[in-house]
Amino acid sequence: MTLALKSWKALGTSVLVLTTRDDRLESATTAVRQVLEDVDAAYSRFREDSELTHLNASPGRAIHVSSLLATAIDAALRAARISYGAVDPTIGHAIRVAGYDDDFSRIAAGGPHPALPRERGREIDSGERGRQMKLRAWHVPGWQAIRLDRGSRTVWLPQGVELDLGSTGKALAADLAATAAMAAAGEGGVLVSLGGDIGTAGESPSGGWRILVAEDSRVKPSGDGDVICVPAGGVATSSTTVRRWSRGGVILHHIIDPQTSLPTSGPFRTVTVVAGTCLDANIASTAAIVRGEAAIDWLTSCRLPARLVENDGTIHYIGPWPDPTSAAA
Amino acid sequence: MDSLTPTQRDRGLQRLRRLTFGATAGGLIAVVGVGYAAAASYAGKASSTATAQTTTTTTDTTASSSSSSSTTSSSGLQSAPQAPTTGSSGSGTVTTGGS
Repeated sequence: MTLALKSWKALGTSVLVLTTRDDRLESATTAVRQVLEDVDAAYSRFREDSELTHLNASPGRAIHVSSLLATAIDAALRAARISYGAVDPTIGHAIRVAGYDDDFSRIAAGGPHPALPRERGREIDSGERGRQMKLRAWHVPGWQAIRLDRGSRTVWLPQGVELDLGSTGKALAADLAATAAMAAAGEGGVLVSLGGDIGTAGESPSGGWRILVAEDSRVKPSGDGDVICVPAGGVATSSTTVRRWSRGGVILHHIIDPQTSLPTSGPFRTVTVVAGTCLDANIASTAAIVRGEAAIDWLTSCRLPARLVENDGTIHYIGPWPDPTSAAA
Repeated sequence: MDSLTPTQRDRGLQRLRRLTFGATAGGLIAVVGVGYAAAASYAGKASSTATAQTTTTTTDTTASSSSSSSTTSSSGLQSAPQAPTTGSSGSGTVTTGGS
């Protein structure tokens, strides 16, 4: 079966659409573009005119939000509940204070040693003796502080709470885009990848969608690594090795531990999970990075196929993850 | 106060036993009745709490692909309808990774 493919950049990351029918690629692509435009307008943290920016700037008031933003917040709260707070959308201020306060392409181009922001917050020693460097961390208020009324689609944030839907938001967008693309295509199957977060809908190619499991989604599909075939569902990878920046000489990354309000420093640098949806795969992979050593027991109890890479490169396979040494399909 | 005869005392004790038995039986009936009414008017759903599997597995490679629909584990996360299998890169391969 010949697959049709289209790729471009959006939401600060790469977008890839695959269809099993060549004549359905255009309609599927158009649907994906529309979903991503809607997502950007609803919950981009870097757009001054997004709904999320307006919501974050309106604490202490009940704000009516679009159906899409309500869905995204609902998904983020579910992620927080399921992960026991490891994936928390109220890290918005903490991640901004840590330096991730703009589209990442502009942060990466902004020089290696920008000054730390001078904001009220907790100071934590970077742990490097000999340096005078201290990280300023902002206390994460906790997801329980958010009030969402699904019926009236109103959201209430207390003072000091700033939402960041980046983790679950992108995965949800992959699921929504795949569903919309499938509806537009009408026949066959669709895969949508947003920077390596993968959602699928409809029929898969024979044997399943082929997915190269890497630590960086920019690795070429022909590169070395485990290739798995996924018949349906979603795949997500969370990693501390990509989207890193330097702050006062300290290397930081975008996965925040809500307990410390700082980038995680656990034993796993990359986690890939296959689940029923991209959103659930992302919840599991991000929570695993945050949970650290407890992640293996937790993922095992979740019964989701997972691949964890330790900081030293050791790989762990959890649940029904296919044997990487078996003959290729 | 006049003292009771043995017959009067026995009758009194019997009456007390009947009252105690009646009160106990009535109480039991009331508890069952109120419980039934409460259950009927505020119906719930039976649930079981699955015990977390704590075995640390790093080499489980059995790929079960018999299921045809997604299931939700006790964790609340939805699993894929079919487990992934080993593949090889080729046309249409997509990369998952951090971004």
